[in-house]
Amino acid sequence: MSSQNESRRSFLKTAVAGAGAVATGAVVPAAETRAAEPMQMSMPADEKHGAFFNADDAATVAAFAERIFPGAPGMPGARDADVLNYIDLALAGAYSDMQEFYRHGLNQLDAHCRTTYRQPFARLDPKQQDEVVSALEKGSVDEFRWPTARAFFTTLRTHTIEGMFADPVYGGNKDFAGWKLIGFPGAQPFFNKNEIQSRDVFTRAPMTGLQAQAAMPKKRG
Amino acid sequence: MANFKTDAVIVGVGGAGGIIAAELSKAGMKVLGLERGPRLQTRDFEPHDELRYFQRQDLRPNSKTQPVTWRADANKRAAPMRTLNYGAQAGGGTVHYGALSWRMHENDFRARSATLERYGASAIPADSSLTDWPFSYADLEPHYDRAEYELGVSGQAGNVQGRKNPAGNIFESPRHREYPLPALDADQAGLIFNEAARKAGYHPFSSPRAILSQPYNGRSGCTYCGFCQAFGCHIGAKSSVLITKLPEADKSGNFTLLTGAMVYHVNTDNSGRATGVSFYGPDGSDNTVEAEVVILAPFIYDNTRLLLLSKSAKFPDGLANSSGHVGKHFMAHIGARIQMAFDDRHVNIFMGPSAQKHSIDDFNSDNFDHGGVGFIRGAQISVAPVALEGGPIGESTMNPPPGVPSWGAGWRDFFAKYYTRHAAIVAQTEDLPYPYQTIDLDPDIRDSWGLPAPRVTYDSRRPNEQKRMEFLAKKLEEIGHASGAYLVWRSRENGGAPGAHHMGGTRMGTNPKESVVNKYSQSWDVPNLFIVGSSTFPTMGCGFNPTLTIQAVAYMSAEAIVNRYRKHPGPLIDA
Repeated sequence: MSSQNESRRSFLKTAVAGAGAVATGAVVPAAETRAAEPMQMSMPADEKHGAFFNADDAATVAAFAERIFPGAPGMPGARDADVLNYIDLALAGAYSDMQEFYRHGLNQLDAHCRTTYRQPFARLDPKQQDEVVSALEKGSVDEFRWPTARAFFTTLRTHTIEGMFADPVYGGNKDFAGWKLIGFPGAQPFFNKNEIQSRDVFTRAPMTGLQAQAAMPKKRG
Repeated sequence: MANFKTDAVIVGVGGAGGIIAAELSKAGMKVLGLERGPRLQTRDFEPHDELRYFQRQDLRPNSKTQPVTWRADANKRAAPMRTLNYGAQAGGGTVHYGALSWRMHENDFRARSATLERYGASAIPADSSLTDWPFSYADLEPHYDRAEYELGVSGQAGNVQGRKNPAGNIFESPRHREYPLPALDADQAGLIFNEAARKAGYHPFSSPRAILSQPYNGRSGCTYCGFCQAFGCHIGAKSSVLITKLPEADKSGNFTLLTGAMVYHVNTDNSGRATGVSFYGPDGSDNTVEAEVVILAPFIYDNTRLLLLSKSAKFPDGLANSSGHVGKHFMAHIGARIQMAFDDRHVNIFMGPSAQKHSIDDFNSDNFDHGGVGFIRGAQISVAPVALEGGPIGESTMNPPPGVPSWGAGWRDFFAKYYTRHAAIVAQTEDLPYPYQTIDLDPDIRDSWGLPAPRVTYDSRRPNEQKRMEFLAKKLEEIGHASGAYLVWRSRENGGAPGAHHMGGTRMGTNPKESVVNKYSQSWDVPNLFIVGSSTFPTMGCGFNPTLTIQAVAYMSAEAIVNRYRKHPGPLIDA
């Protein structure tokens, strides 16, 4: 773990030096925020990660997403829907241009939590985590330069929602957890006139994900 | 490096360019279409996927590789913006649009004269370039009719040759016959809106849409799946130019389409005539086309950009810009919106054609007396999903009601309960033109071809527009409360950002000193150069979505090129 952190830190320094050369106008403080000692955090066994995040960042993102969209008895949340897996795969693919955004954002988040609570985000209790998320939303966190606290919050909120409600083929919305919670039946290829005019909840099965659609009838019944 | 020779080259085969491609090639002209995106097919639009098409905007130019930038303040740097109507494929925006297909009103083509007559000169803001169009509704009516019948538009007429029908829009200007297809079925959101608007004393109707309510011309009728705005239609029920006009062009045997072709320059000779265009191919090659007629038909930003990129010793301020008006009078529809949450019913906003479903025209154009309200012109008011498509990612963008947080258990509980029990009402307001709302070349940001991005400098918060937004927001609340919703609340302000349906930059007119093109979209300066699309609109007309008007004007241009210009190349109107 510590050697991984070492190589990660040197990579970040290189990236920061590179960032200074492009005309983004953003002055990025050296990312010296990650504690050198290994962190002993317990990862829930069902959290998949590895396409992009390391174990520490995976734990942070999973915890953060859970505060954005918390689970409750009978109500699946971000962990249940595997939002972490969605974001992890997205950063390795469609959102690979946001990798540095996440690296810097997570380092700044870590610095803030260690300064304020002497603990990384994932080890704070939910009430403390909510204080942190709330401070980010308000933009009132000193440790954030680029990305700004507000931009980091907004991005994680958006990506959490994508992971809750995008088709399961993208790695989140596990077992249609998000769609079932709110009553969205997936991409149905047709609705009949009674259905579109109904005042009742729509219950016709099945809920259709991308991989099931090819076999569906296309025309209105 | 390749060289092509053709009668007519068309840059961008979208909502306007596709129509001109079909009309010219059917008339026997050799037509080469250059399209920077791909040519997709109906089978490419299945399955529907909200993340890919709505959230990641797969049918629109990527804002990182093909940015359009915006700034509200002319002293600041601009940043890339999300675009709504911009297309990135053959068929352009008509592939992924909500397919609203409106005719504008008689009044809209003479907004300046009509305002002067009814309210006097003091009603027009001193800094607005409000003007009349160079033709009338009656001039355009046959072309509207052609577009409706050739493409396939569903709607209920409200005025056939002066005979009013309250089942349709009683404010519409006379049409000479009914729509080719009956109106689309009302969904629950449409039924709620109809009842509420009637209760409030207004005149609701099913919005006319280029979506087939029944089979037509060998194509299938709509399945009400809800994936219209931002999506391609999985059964071809949406009357996009891709599946209506491009096949006509193909059949002529005179049409060639090159995809992945990015035009970066319009070439001219010493006499000031356009000789053709230069473009980058998908393999990075640099190519030229020689053509008798050059037709520019990309989305509006790219018309201005191409003209500015094509400056030369003879055209030092950009091609076709002796008037100095290229890039000026940028306009956008600005939206006011309310959300309604219901406790006594489900709305299931994800069902049914997804953009503006049912509408009222009572507060559009000059359909109501503006005496004493402190502003001119109006808005189309419609019921719709918040994001104009009703999937959960789109609807999650709604601002929660007062007192509900934007994340955490409070937001989860709100969204879990009301995702299927909400609808929005939107007012699509007509911006007046102002010469200093502009498009130019961004000095800092370039696209993936190395060309400067088009830059929009624009702030929607003008006094006339602000007063109109407040007036309309109150009307929306009135209808919202009449619906029986348990909660009605307003959307956030947009920070001056340009909303939808961007227009302007190459305005048409009757005077070459005050406009870029004449009524046939022909450049005053370069008679073998035509510049088409809503970049030519001198005003927004009204609050209606512009596509059918763009298409009718394209038919008018194509007819003039085929019947008149081809026989006597030169100015179609003497300057």
